[in-house]
Amino acid sequence: MRAGYLSTVQAGFFAIALALLAFIFLVLAGMVLYPPFDALVRSLQSEEILFAIGLSLVTSVISTGLCALVAIPVAYSLARGTFPGKRAATILLNVPMALPPLVAGVALLIFFGPSSIGQFLENIGISVVFTPLGIIVALFFVNVPYLIRILRSTFEDINPRFEHVARTLGCSEWRSFRRTTLPLAKRGLFAGLVITWSKCIGEFGAVLILAGATRLKTETLPIALFLNMSTGDIELAIAAAIILIAISIASLLVLEYFAGESRFV
Amino acid sequence: MIVVLEIRNLEKRLGDFALHNISLTIGEGEYFMVLGPTGAGKTVLLETIAGIIKPESGNIFLFGRDITVLPPEERGFSIVYQDFMLFPHLTVFENIAFGLREQRLPFPELRDRVTGISELLGISDLLERAPHTLSGGEQQRAAMARALVMRPRILLLDEPMSALDAASRIRLRQELKRIHRNTGTTVIHITHYFEDLFPLADRLAVMQDGAIVQVGTPEEIFNQPESDFVAHFTGMENIFRGSAVRRGDEVEIDLGPIVLHAVTPLEGDVIAGIRADELILSPEPFDSTARNTFRGTVSEIQANGVFSRVVVDVGVPMCGIITRQSLFRLGLTPGQEITVIFKASAVHVFPA
Repeated sequence: MRAGYLSTVQAGFFAIALALLAFIFLVLAGMVLYPPFDALVRSLQSEEILFAIGLSLVTSVISTGLCALVAIPVAYSLARGTFPGKRAATILLNVPMALPPLVAGVALLIFFGPSSIGQFLENIGISVVFTPLGIIVALFFVNVPYLIRILRSTFEDINPRFEHVARTLGCSEWRSFRRTTLPLAKRGLFAGLVITWSKCIGEFGAVLILAGATRLKTETLPIALFLNMSTGDIELAIAAAIILIAISIASLLVLEYFAGESRFV
Repeated sequence: MIVVLEIRNLEKRLGDFALHNISLTIGEGEYFMVLGPTGAGKTVLLETIAGIIKPESGNIFLFGRDITVLPPEERGFSIVYQDFMLFPHLTVFENIAFGLREQRLPFPELRDRVTGISELLGISDLLERAPHTLSGGEQQRAAMARALVMRPRILLLDEPMSALDAASRIRLRQELKRIHRNTGTTVIHITHYFEDLFPLADRLAVMQDGAIVQVGTPEEIFNQPESDFVAHFTGMENIFRGSAVRRGDEVEIDLGPIVLHAVTPLEGDVIAGIRADELILSPEPFDSTARNTFRGTVSEIQANGVFSRVVVDVGVPMCGIITRQSLFRLGLTPGQEITVIFKASAVHVFPA
């Protein structure tokens, strides 16, 4: 009796899972198939979409690079260091992540706009507000905490004694990090960069507020989607959406592939 | 003896744990062991010697030069941890070559040094393997090769045998002895296994709660333990509390039910320790020059292997060790009357 009861529950759960999968598939496929095919191909080749692809790629790659440059040392010191205020620092670092991106955008807009720091930057010719540079800044601000979090747990999983051994074998502090911890963190670092990059590609709220939504100037893929939806150009909006879906699926596949390969656990 | 390493009044606090006033002198080519229970601070001491942990006060001298603040890479010491810490992203060859690569040694010389040390350790066939494919004993040798190929001034071993099974431990003990003989390297080896000492150690220090409680040769530590902790740790089975009163050349230690005769300068409250193998058991009372003779009843016999433990109640329980042959010959059974005899010099007396 008990076995029969269990298998009924399992069958029920399985049916729910199937229904969910069907729902996800139908929602995405429905959108892709909604516009006439030739109109969609034309949209994908339009100047606006090509510009958005280019701008999204450039800004996301630069932002991801900046995130890595900052996150590696910060994550390492949080993982290894003991210093007063470490807990407080950890909480503060997670705030941009917990913040709704729109709020982060408003805060950034005020910091780089009317504040004295914003005025100073403006005076020396660095203008962040409503420019492509603003896109990079917004992406960095909302995504660097994620990367720090991922890398911190990666570094915490690596035994500090590898570096101790390397030191006794003649490596300086920096060299022992370069030759042991960094290569051992390769998988976590790679996964972190893919996640950061794909989040950069999809980021909307913070970019909208800080960089504005100027057609053919600060128009990333999500912004293109938004602008064309609001003007009723449904084919262009869906073209942008399809590229975003393709990028999401591709990064998921890459992550799956490398997560399966667990050489240094 | 040429002094390689001198440690003077080292202090270090790490959370709840602390090293207290550590002073040690280690001679060139010496095999020096540090013995102590888990949590005594042995690894902290080793990492402080290596330069990985900075002491709060005190000094470390290498051939008379103060190296207290010298970074680990400039000390020329190699360390082998108990979990070996082979770099998992490198082959065994590259693990062993790790330090030589840092020196930018030309490849032919680097290869010769790596193959040379691999032959000494019998791991020449494993050089292209990844560390995780090696057995515990093989990883241990690879880690040892990685340390020795640097020709360290001091080789630091952190419980190198505790991750191995009993048979590998015995093999490795012989191996370590051979390597030490062949290379003449000064070794500081920490362990909590008392049985590692005799085949290996020239001298040793016993550690307890972050402090060194006794330094000497294994024979000195074993035969003249200076505290009941050392006595317990080195396997002294009979330990009693009592009060000592001087009577001429010797003292009488009153344990309550019985009085022991001992030779010691101590008086007042003391702890008396007697090794089980120094008790003589005899079914008949017999005359001997031994100062301590007690009648009692056998309360327990544990036969294990060649030796058997016999506990005799002489007012206090006393544990003796006899061979299985003697056990058979004496025909001992629980409840039997028996005489326990030991010399006054067999009673080791420590301050209580």
